[in-house]
Amino acid sequence: MNNPPLIQIKDLKVVKNGRTICSVPEILVNEGQRLACIGKNGSGKSTLLRVLAGFEKDCLGICKVSAPKKERVYVHQSPYLFRGSVLFNVKYGLRARRHSHRTSEKVARQWLEALGVQNLAERSVHELSGGEKQRVALARAFSLEPRLLLLDEPLSELDEPGSASCLEAIARLVDSTIIVASPAPLPSVQGLRMETFVLEDRTET
Amino acid sequence: MELIWDSLRQALHMILTADPTVLDAGFRSLWISAIAVTGAGIVGLPLGSLLARVRFPARRIIITLFRAGMAVPTVFIGLLCFAFFERHGPLGPYDLLFTPGAIMAGEFLLALPLVVTISHGAIAALDPRVAETAKSLGAGLVRRWLTYLSEAKTGILVAMMTAFSRCVTELGIAMMVGGNIKERTQTLTTATALETGQGEFARGLAMGLILLLIAMIVTSLIVFLGREDE
Repeated sequence: MNNPPLIQIKDLKVVKNGRTICSVPEILVNEGQRLACIGKNGSGKSTLLRVLAGFEKDCLGICKVSAPKKERVYVHQSPYLFRGSVLFNVKYGLRARRHSHRTSEKVARQWLEALGVQNLAERSVHELSGGEKQRVALARAFSLEPRLLLLDEPLSELDEPGSASCLEAIARLVDSTIIVASPAPLPSVQGLRMETFVLEDRTET
Repeated sequence: MELIWDSLRQALHMILTADPTVLDAGFRSLWISAIAVTGAGIVGLPLGSLLARVRFPARRIIITLFRAGMAVPTVFIGLLCFAFFERHGPLGPYDLLFTPGAIMAGEFLLALPLVVTISHGAIAALDPRVAETAKSLGAGLVRRWLTYLSEAKTGILVAMMTAFSRCVTELGIAMMVGGNIKERTQTLTTATALETGQGEFARGLAMGLILLLIAMIVTSLIVFLGREDE
């Protein structure tokens, strides 16, 4: 019952070239919680997610994440897909986690289907549209079912059905703690209870 | 001008009739350079990747030294190898002077700065999301390195092929430590120099043409592989 929070942030500040690019007074995130981090452009949403992923080193204040780095998965707002096929990309993380070829392929195809892009499995990533790339990157991240999943504006390139299948897929990740950065509140989907945290505009310069 | 046309005709005839001296020197040039460049790849690609991905105090100095190493004349490398391989040199007891092994060692030193510098440039220029994505998906050190090589494939191929072109067309090292011994250490470049020096212009030109052909094939490969990448 009294498990310590997965994420503990207090007076976090990220300063680059003398400018505060992210400032968060306090956040506590418990295991299994789903949090939508809402804020305007430039409010520091992406930076906050990058700090939690362990990519930003120069931050002040307290930021404790009890999940080791290998159990955190971060998806960029404009995701990078490796050279090769869609299936290769979705299998990448599974293979890195030492799943067999067969299991990796099965899981990868399941998640591609969950995001409605199973027909793209054999296609080269160079042939994909922006939205398709985003769905493939999400399938690649979801397939790992990580303890902490950090999604930077995952719906930015998706159309309505794409957004719906993405949120439905998020709802399926029952064991993951998920933080979604978004400029506006996320559309509601059955079975997905998302709490909201509003990131105030940084005031200091 | 007539001399050039005559020589050109003779040269083509020698290539088409598979002149044994030309073929022997040609194959030797190819396999010596291929082994030297493979060795430079085995050492140079991890080194180039390390310099691109890991920050450590002497990194800038090492990068500068390798960049400078690309401009070292082949005769100087030949001299250096000669000093090491000659009877009283540190590697004298291995009796490597005037063997293909000595040329290989010299060409390895010629190729290494090229492979390190170009692969370093290609990997350093990769999108920062490549490393972040690979790390985030849980890739270990080796898988991440292979991912960098794969994402920088065109640059890596350019590095290897540039090194190969440089090795196969160099003269200084093959002459200094190979000695241009027929059927043992003679390469296309040393044979070209020898034949031309002896007044056998046509034979010299034939070998020069083969060198040109190899350089063109390698360049076309670089262009083709670069295109495939797009």
